[in-house]
Amino acid sequence: MKMLQQVPRNALAWIIISMFTLLAPHAGRIPVWIMLIYLFAALWRIQVYRGHWSFPGRWVKLVMIVSGFAGIYLSFGSVIGLEPTVALLLTAFALKLIELVSRKDAYVLIFLGYFVCITEFLFTQDLLMVLYSLLNVIIVTTALVALHQPGEHRFNRKTMRLAGVMVLQAMPLMLVLFFLFPRIGPLWTVPVKSHTAKTGMSDFMKPGDISKLSQSADVAFRVQFEGEIPAKSGLYWRGLVFSKLEEGTWSNLSYFEVPPKERRQQEVVTTGEPLNYSIIMEPTQQNWLFGLRYATPDRPGILAASDFRLYSFVMIEDEFQYRVSSWPDAQLETELSAWRREVELRLPDNDNQRTRQFASTLRAQAGSDEAFVDAVLQHFNREPFVYTLQPPLLPDVDGMDMFMFESRRGFCEHYAYAFTLMMRAAGVPARVVAGYQGGEVNPVNKTVIVHQFDAHAWAEVWLPEKGWVRVDPTGSVAPQRIEMGLEEAVASEGTFLSDSPLSPLRYRSIRWINQLRLRYDALTYQWQSWVVGFDGEVQFQLLRDVFGEVSAGRFAAALIGTWALVLLPVAISLLRRRETRPQRPLDREYLKVCERLASLGYPRYAGESATDYADRVSAQCPDWAEPLSRLTRLYTELAYQTPASAASEQQFHRALRQFRPRKRRDR
Amino acid sequence: MQIQAQGVGGLRQRLRSRFRAWVNRRIPPSRVVTLDQRRIFIFPSRAGFFFGLCLLLMLTTAINYQNNMSYALTFLLATLFIIAILHTYANLSGLTIRALRAQSAFPGQQAEFDIQVSRRKQREHFALYLKWPDSTEALINLLDEDQVEVRLHTPLGQRGWYNPGRLLLESTYPLGLLRCWTWIDLDLYALVYPQPLLSAELPGLASDRPDGAAIPIAGSDDFYGFRDYRRGDSLRQVHWKGLAKGQGLQSKHYAAYADRSVWLDWEMFAGHPVEQRLSHLCYWALEFERLNEEYGLRIPDVLIQPGSGEKHRNEVLKALALYGVPERQL
Repeated sequence: MKMLQQVPRNALAWIIISMFTLLAPHAGRIPVWIMLIYLFAALWRIQVYRGHWSFPGRWVKLVMIVSGFAGIYLSFGSVIGLEPTVALLLTAFALKLIELVSRKDAYVLIFLGYFVCITEFLFTQDLLMVLYSLLNVIIVTTALVALHQPGEHRFNRKTMRLAGVMVLQAMPLMLVLFFLFPRIGPLWTVPVKSHTAKTGMSDFMKPGDISKLSQSADVAFRVQFEGEIPAKSGLYWRGLVFSKLEEGTWSNLSYFEVPPKERRQQEVVTTGEPLNYSIIMEPTQQNWLFGLRYATPDRPGILAASDFRLYSFVMIEDEFQYRVSSWPDAQLETELSAWRREVELRLPDNDNQRTRQFASTLRAQAGSDEAFVDAVLQHFNREPFVYTLQPPLLPDVDGMDMFMFESRRGFCEHYAYAFTLMMRAAGVPARVVAGYQGGEVNPVNKTVIVHQFDAHAWAEVWLPEKGWVRVDPTGSVAPQRIEMGLEEAVASEGTFLSDSPLSPLRYRSIRWINQLRLRYDALTYQWQSWVVGFDGEVQFQLLRDVFGEVSAGRFAAALIGTWALVLLPVAISLLRRRETRPQRPLDREYLKVCERLASLGYPRYAGESATDYADRVSAQCPDWAEPLSRLTRLYTELAYQTPASAASEQQFHRALRQFRPRKRRDR
Repeated sequence: MQIQAQGVGGLRQRLRSRFRAWVNRRIPPSRVVTLDQRRIFIFPSRAGFFFGLCLLLMLTTAINYQNNMSYALTFLLATLFIIAILHTYANLSGLTIRALRAQSAFPGQQAEFDIQVSRRKQREHFALYLKWPDSTEALINLLDEDQVEVRLHTPLGQRGWYNPGRLLLESTYPLGLLRCWTWIDLDLYALVYPQPLLSAELPGLASDRPDGAAIPIAGSDDFYGFRDYRRGDSLRQVHWKGLAKGQGLQSKHYAAYADRSVWLDWEMFAGHPVEQRLSHLCYWALEFERLNEEYGLRIPDVLIQPGSGEKHRNEVLKALALYGVPERQL
């Protein structure tokens, strides 16, 4: 069995290639030294192959394993969690290469490769990544095929062909299994992505936070409306409600800060048809969800908080899809409880006295709360306030005084902060709302793409009889921001996405790039809604639609039927008879004569030459001797002597016609 | 306990012989075997079971992380396994194995068995592993050529016909997850000669026999002719006169005459056991052959007229090898 244990050079080459293609997508997630281990392992194994170095001894291996563990512990601060586990797997994968001696080791390495492939999906299920992983599967399979091709002592690109064909043949069966395999809940809790940075909005806001977020061109979420897409200026995606102001920072009330009887959302009277839409969020590692005002979720696991925002019980670690119905005109919380009023009016002591003073004066001049709101907005509009992505840094103490009366340059959070502060100072319940505003409509599939640079902060004030009313002070300063978007609002400044010069969003003016970007985005949405949305419930729905009823019998029938549909053609193409040598017409004619003679009881022996055969048959049947020998002579001349003349081919065919052996009666 | 153990052993024996009978019925001995679904067996290999274990691990990952793409990859690999069944099977299917020849040899020697593997279809066959239970192994590919000859060596047992058993032809190509194999009896027998056994002298020379005088080997003293001098020729053999005449260095060559034939007789070693008798006769046959003497053989039921040469030698040795061996059914 020793012979079977050898690892051909071609297989070694493919294994090394697969290691690096598997490593590539993980590159951003693992420390640099692991990549160096890969280079080192590949170098060592190649040197062993060339006979320059030798395989590591037991102690060297032990030292490498221990230091790998230690390195991961030092880099990640623990070995528990998804990222350290994957890093550990990748390190083991590299070290195993150094001790790849026999076929058994190669199996371990290759199967480990498949597993590394799966770990990538735990981080992203992006369409491009899936296609890349498919390529990886083919490369790893190629290594497996190469392992079973003895004697391939040089790198052979063509080995990939068979692996590719096999993977393609497996595809349809995989799809059947994918749709039919019952989805069950997690069997036990698994390590989570503890080391991935939280992205998007955070649960507190200081002046300058949102302008920082607006530098990013990443997608926050995509929305698909069931009906018409509302006007951009109405798309206020509420995410967080900041009721608490402490030390110059706005934050939301945590669940336990709310007294139990206030935790339930107040009843809302809804009239008319709601806006129905579904949202696919990119992972944020946070819990809050986004929705238009008065949003009601349609699935369990999402909480509608008392301040009318959506909250997921589990952290959004993967793309997350949910459906929402919204009534944008519904009146929210027309009855304000004493506790709520107190909370929404609370201000820290002795801060921003000048602004508070100014607010009190303005309120006194205005006849009502509503008039006061208008007065403040007019103040922002009239005075030389500037909407900018590069606001000056404000001091921790009396920052708003500085903004209101001196710098007067700010981003949305500055205006929202100042506005809410002035409302509260004048005794009008108000709070800051953070989320996204607007979004880009993708004409390809009619989705609204909301990017991080659409991040926005605005205010809500409580007015008697009306409840909570949205007021966006930014609109008074830069109406383009609300109607067109950030890019137009800061066009004169030229600061839009200044930190990401390569983002395709910066090249929206170039038609084909923009077309390409939107098409890919539409594809991504399709992919996400399909991959992300496919769970036990959707599966049940789908199967019921297809089969009518879901029963074990139909399951089995579908499985067997579709598999047979795929496996049969594959089997036939593999096992179909193909003759070793394509036949010339000449040979075919001659072999027909041989077959005819064989059926009459004169088979041609294996290896017998045409002439010998003719002689033997002639000796037994003298009346065939003349035509058969002529036929055979012509055949051998044509078959073995080149070039054949046209005349002799005609002669051969004449001889063929003349030789019609029949069963003889005397035998 | 012991009785029980014996019972189990007996059962295993019975099962094994049952199995052997079943294989014999399914794949009867034949000089030419073309592999088809009757003759090919297929089962997951050890690596295949390991792969299955890995798939289970992947499936738990997919379930625990509720990750659809992990599900997809797991299912893709599982169906790859199914597809591999067809490809592994196709790697053996349609191959023809032909028994070519088996070389006769002495006990303890390695006999050569030549077989030919050929394909009917224009497709590449990789990693075909061939082995008899006790033989050396071979690993061949059928790529550009339509047929390959394989020579396997196997140590021989007792005098008579030696059958190496069922030839194992297996392959795990292309993925190694499945093992596809066949056991074929190629009806190929090697002849095992008796073990040559030196006896001090040839006893009881039957000079009184009427049909030819057996004479002791006294060297060759009848002049036969000249030939070119070879190293090792005695100086006394050198044709000095010719050398003096400038004809180059030549030796005088002596040979025994054809009529000086020896009979190797069964009775020469009377009193010895059968095998020993055959061994002595074998030794002397080889010795006479080496000395270029003519010799005949006379054993019960066989009479071979004196002669020499390889063909004669083989005939004699075959007769000795098959003494008392029941006729093989061909």
